[in-house]
Amino acid sequence: MEKPCTLLVHFDKGTPAMANEIKEALEGSDVAAKVDAMKRAIMLLLNGETLPQLFITIVRYVLPSEDHTVQKLLLFYLEIIDKTDARGRVLPEMILICQNLLNNLQHANEYIRGVTLRFLCRISEPEILEPLIPSVLTNLEHRHPFIRRNALLAISSIYRLPNGEQLLPDAPELVEKALSSEQDASARRNAFLMLCNCSQDRAVAYLLSNADRVPEWPDLLQMAMVDLIRKVCRANRPDKGRHIKIIISLLNSPSTAVVYECAGALVSLSSAPTAVRAAANTYCQLLSSQSDNNVRLIILDRLNELRKSHREVMSEVVMDVLRALSSPNPDVRRKVLDIVLDLVSTKNVDEVVLFLKKEVVKTQAAGESDKDAGGEYRQMLVQAIHACTIKFPEVAGSVVHVLMDFLGDSNVASAIDVVIFVREIIETNPKLRVSMIQRLIDTFYQIRAARVCSCALWILGEYSLSLSEVEAAISTIKQCVGELPFYSATEDVEPTAESTKQPHAVNSSVTTSSRRPVVLADGTYATQSAASEAAGVAPSVLPGSLSSIPNLRSLILSGDFFLAAVVASTLTKLVLRLEEVQPAQTETNKACSAALLVMVSMLQFGQSGFAPHPIDDDSYDRIVLCVRLLCNTGDEVRKVWLESCRQSFAKMLAEKQFRETEELRAKAQISHAQPDDLIDFYHLKSRKGMSQLELEDEVHDDLKRATGEFTKDADDASRLNRILQLTGFSDPVYAEAYVTVHHYDIVLDVTIINRTKETLQNLCLELATMGDLKLVDRPQNYTLAPESSRQIKANIKVSSTETGVIFGNIVYETSNVMERNVVVLNDIHIDIMDYISPATCADVTFRNMWAEFEWENKVAISTVIQDEKEFLEHIIKSTNMKCLTPPSALEGDCGFLAANLYAKSVFGEDALVNISVEKQADGKLSGYIRIRSKTQGIALSLGDKITLKQKGGDH
Amino acid sequence: MVVLAASILTKTGKVLVSRQFVDMPRIRIEGLLAAFPKLVGTGKQHTYVETENVRYVYQPIEALYLILVTNKQSNILEDLDTLRLLAKVVPEYAPSLDEEGTGEMAFEIIFAFDECLSLGNKENLTVAQVRQYCEMESHEEKLHKLVLQSKMNEAKDVMKRKATEIEKSKIEKGKFQTGAYSSISGPRRSESGFGDINISSSGSGFGSGSGFGLNTESIESFSSKSKDRPAASAKAPPKGLGMQLGKKTQKTNQFLESLKAEGEVIIEDVQPSAVQSKSVLPPTDPITVTIEEKLNIIVQKNGGLRNFDLQGTLSLQILNQDDGFIQLQIENRDMPGLSFKTHPNINKDLFNREQIIGLKDPNRPFPTGQNDVGLMKWRVQKMDESSLPLTVNCWPSVSGNETYVNIEYEASDLFDLQNVVISVPLPALRDAPTVNQIDGEWRYDARNSSLEWSILLIDHSNRSGSMEFVVPPADQSAFFPISIKFAASSTYSDVKVAGINSLKGANVPKYSQRVQLMTESYQVV
Repeated sequence: MEKPCTLLVHFDKGTPAMANEIKEALEGSDVAAKVDAMKRAIMLLLNGETLPQLFITIVRYVLPSEDHTVQKLLLFYLEIIDKTDARGRVLPEMILICQNLLNNLQHANEYIRGVTLRFLCRISEPEILEPLIPSVLTNLEHRHPFIRRNALLAISSIYRLPNGEQLLPDAPELVEKALSSEQDASARRNAFLMLCNCSQDRAVAYLLSNADRVPEWPDLLQMAMVDLIRKVCRANRPDKGRHIKIIISLLNSPSTAVVYECAGALVSLSSAPTAVRAAANTYCQLLSSQSDNNVRLIILDRLNELRKSHREVMSEVVMDVLRALSSPNPDVRRKVLDIVLDLVSTKNVDEVVLFLKKEVVKTQAAGESDKDAGGEYRQMLVQAIHACTIKFPEVAGSVVHVLMDFLGDSNVASAIDVVIFVREIIETNPKLRVSMIQRLIDTFYQIRAARVCSCALWILGEYSLSLSEVEAAISTIKQCVGELPFYSATEDVEPTAESTKQPHAVNSSVTTSSRRPVVLADGTYATQSAASEAAGVAPSVLPGSLSSIPNLRSLILSGDFFLAAVVASTLTKLVLRLEEVQPAQTETNKACSAALLVMVSMLQFGQSGFAPHPIDDDSYDRIVLCVRLLCNTGDEVRKVWLESCRQSFAKMLAEKQFRETEELRAKAQISHAQPDDLIDFYHLKSRKGMSQLELEDEVHDDLKRATGEFTKDADDASRLNRILQLTGFSDPVYAEAYVTVHHYDIVLDVTIINRTKETLQNLCLELATMGDLKLVDRPQNYTLAPESSRQIKANIKVSSTETGVIFGNIVYETSNVMERNVVVLNDIHIDIMDYISPATCADVTFRNMWAEFEWENKVAISTVIQDEKEFLEHIIKSTNMKCLTPPSALEGDCGFLAANLYAKSVFGEDALVNISVEKQADGKLSGYIRIRSKTQGIALSLGDKITLKQKGGDH
Repeated sequence: MVVLAASILTKTGKVLVSRQFVDMPRIRIEGLLAAFPKLVGTGKQHTYVETENVRYVYQPIEALYLILVTNKQSNILEDLDTLRLLAKVVPEYAPSLDEEGTGEMAFEIIFAFDECLSLGNKENLTVAQVRQYCEMESHEEKLHKLVLQSKMNEAKDVMKRKATEIEKSKIEKGKFQTGAYSSISGPRRSESGFGDINISSSGSGFGSGSGFGLNTESIESFSSKSKDRPAASAKAPPKGLGMQLGKKTQKTNQFLESLKAEGEVIIEDVQPSAVQSKSVLPPTDPITVTIEEKLNIIVQKNGGLRNFDLQGTLSLQILNQDDGFIQLQIENRDMPGLSFKTHPNINKDLFNREQIIGLKDPNRPFPTGQNDVGLMKWRVQKMDESSLPLTVNCWPSVSGNETYVNIEYEASDLFDLQNVVISVPLPALRDAPTVNQIDGEWRYDARNSSLEWSILLIDHSNRSGSMEFVVPPADQSAFFPISIKFAASSTYSDVKVAGINSLKGANVPKYSQRVQLMTESYQVV
């Protein structure tokens, strides 16, 4: 492993400190200057300078200093300098510092002793430690707790060194003795930890002999104890019962940290329902007693883990978990709902839904003060209820009516959720249809948002079946559309065509306000209604007058012709249905003509100049189609309108459900055992608890992963693929590198070969970077014998996802020529693809990000690939992104295709790509690929990558 | 259970300070910290971020992030506790919570981090404890130093003793050779010889200073210089030597060496340990006259003398009863407001007439023994400001968020003052004040929260001086009362013993006189 780094200090390059200045100050007698010089020396060292000449100065002038700060800084200095030579042997001059350390260990000042002992924990060279050990041991009995604490730490870390047992053969006995007489909490903890790490038996013995007193122990010690129990129980199963008893006795400890730790330990020790239940209850208690969001979120994570392994137990505590919804933090609420939704079962669904319903009602009561948060929360709740009812349709009846009150919610998102929910329930729950339609008709006038309106209209059109329902629906729509025509600048007698000819005149003639007959320029007589005026003046006036104007009318007047088309088709459907259920032909005809009037008025309004913008072609066509249909119905058309529509919706729902089950199945598949997994034999081991190996890995790897010790080795074959040749074969120095890309860093392993017959001196690999890369170490000089080779490692830090380039050259001197020779290296390009990985996000999030991100890179498609889908595959493959557009939406052959791709970088940056491609008449593909990201780097690099790769064909 | 690292970052992601508690390579920690700013989302209501491998628990402090990097199994409740402690500790050490302030005190912050987390394990500490641990004020160390110092002094004494023994044996030899003295007189003289050498071991700077003022006329072997001009040597002690003698062995040695080089004979008291225990020098002459004036002064800070009181005493110490039959001839300067009071046993008439102190009953001797016998007292009152030996002016002025305090002293020409100490009380401070300019030396006494300005000697070369120091803003009155201490080897009244008359007609015994002016209390309020 690489040399560990113990401290980092920001080094301002603006103030270069010269080694000479530092030396002078160190030699002086001014303490302040000395402290300052030491600081600068340490900073230089941290910055990669080696400063070998300083060592002797420091030994001579700094070691004897009496000043405490100087001594402490000296320890830092000793901590970071190289204490061994290239072959790992301790440098001979290190013996010089031993005496000083020894003095410090016997210093009268207890703090000097303490910090020196602490420093020893970071020393791993037995040669340095050996002479100090007697003093360390004497410090164990010092009366000051500060010293004892650190002495115990030092003993622990010395004992754990590779040869520690030889250095300190009787350490466990000594520590055990110290532990039994120790009073200081922290020192006891350190002693106990030492025993845990070095002599578990003794630790266990101590624990068991003090088992009764454990609840009175200080919390620090309790924590160490829990840790020990966790470890011990892996090896020593028979004793588990006693240990668990101790842990359970601690579950009521006053220290929440201990309680938390105990709950975690309990779960890892036993999978017996009682234990898990106790742990889950403890977590729930903490959840309600801790107000810190961090704690809550992490406890929820723990509960989530429990949920995965112990569903049955967890479903018992669902209601306790739900109580955490009282936290105002949306993240907490979301997590709570996620956990709860997964645990909902037939047993508790009623309770859960009832609770959710109450919460929904509460958000309504909360009032205007926290409208935004309330709206968001309501949306979450609605979605949660929705999910519950999909699983357990029988509960729908109890909630749907409450939810329908929120159709008119000012928070559009939650209203949409509600209406989609209603749509699904009405299809899947035929029993509820009648009451829901009734309710919808009642609340329809409250709906304000266009999208909610259109959906509600569709529901009305599809599910109004009986005569009374159809009639009520038609009249509601008519009411909401309001008085016709939309604008009444029409003449009593003149045909509509004429009035459309002169909208301009009408517009200009409007001078006074509502409901006043005016004389037009051509002498015609006209009235101007308030609504049309409002529409004519500015759509922005509309919201103010919302309450007075029916919702559909105001929306249409503001220019939403898509909604108008929906109104038209809904009316058409309703009239067609009316024909089926209404025995009296005259009534049907009446309704039909009324519907036609509405449609025609909408068309007329759309083409007049009063609308904010003229009607779009699609909506126009759609309304005209409806008009035609009503005038000329046929069986086939009727079937299409009344049945196929519903069928396709049912199909869509079925597909959605299918996809969900499919995903679940896929998930279940993943958790199946791998062929080479360990098999736990039911009869051969106690089934309560995880297997030993599993547990061991869990705790240990976590720390190892965190410190970066744990990196998976790529297989050698792929490693060889990444070798880059840096210089030519005929260059005096041949160099090649293989590049390993880790998460946050790049390691270049450069092999340098001297191809000449001369010794190369001061050979140096100089690297420079472009982009968001930074060299960590400063280059070192090497001497290379004739025809020998050397491996040089260079670490490069990466701080964002961006294409980077590493330049470099090799500089060296030969013995006879004093000038320096330079060999320029090939550039090394760092590929962005190493940093991004496919990810998923919800459609809505994607759109929000799309709107929000400021960097867009637009790449025109130019490719030899002829098929749209093949092109998409190609892009996905070459960019390592995930296609968010479902495959069903990409099916079929229509000559064009649009898809969204998404990926996330290791730094958490989002990369969004949209592909819009169309097949030209000549068979070529054309269109654009748009990349959006928050940072310029990703947009540019990804764009470059795509431009480079999109050609395709030749791979 | 272990914190991997505690770090401070700027909001832009620059690493200012980071302390790792677990072995990890530099590239790793730098990578982790570089990734952090990108992971921190805005608008979140929680302050931890989890990645695949680690958890960051952080807290924004002004322009900085304070971060704990932990593994994911770590106990969040403990980590939050630790973070809270660190967040309290950092502002204690960083003068300002930004890049500059933290960068400046980076190492101090790391010291504190080390205390809060011992190798990554949480410690239950308070901020005050952390501060205490970092300050490293150790009572034991002080004791140890004292012991060390006294050991050093002892060793010095031994050395000197050895040196004198050698010298003595040389003299003995010399005397024996010349035959000028009988060999019997040697030890007696050496007993009464050279009090001043002991002084260096008594550790009191003042004592040594005045010790030089003591002159022993009778010893022939004393330096020729002091023999020629005993009065001069009494009035102008070697500058600064008194303090240094007590301080450094080397100086003492050097001094001794140089004395020896000049051909001096160094004779040492044979029993130095007995001397050490007493602060007052034992009389080495048969008759010692001590003349002392003590000052009690209170001066208003904006001028004006509130109280001036001078009390003088003349006391006599006679070792042998045989020498008790004497009379003292007194001299003094004529000054207004000076009135003498003599002991009831003193012949007042004689005194008033001829300024001779003698007992009423000429047949009785003066009391003898080791004790001083007070013979005469005098007081001087109602002096004006101009006659103060030393005036001190203190000007605190607030500028920005600092207070500049200028102090100047002015000494009158009448006296050469020794061991002047001006101590200025300070408001409670975290650090020692910054002294911009000073004539002399200063010391910050953290316990009493005062600044002591000491000047070894004020003579004609430095009749006035000043200092300036800077402290955080404070009320002006916080710098008062200033108390001043000094000593001088001449007095206001200039009372002196001009001569001694023996009543028994025998030859006049040797006598020495010690004159000193000192402050009992001198305050500027």
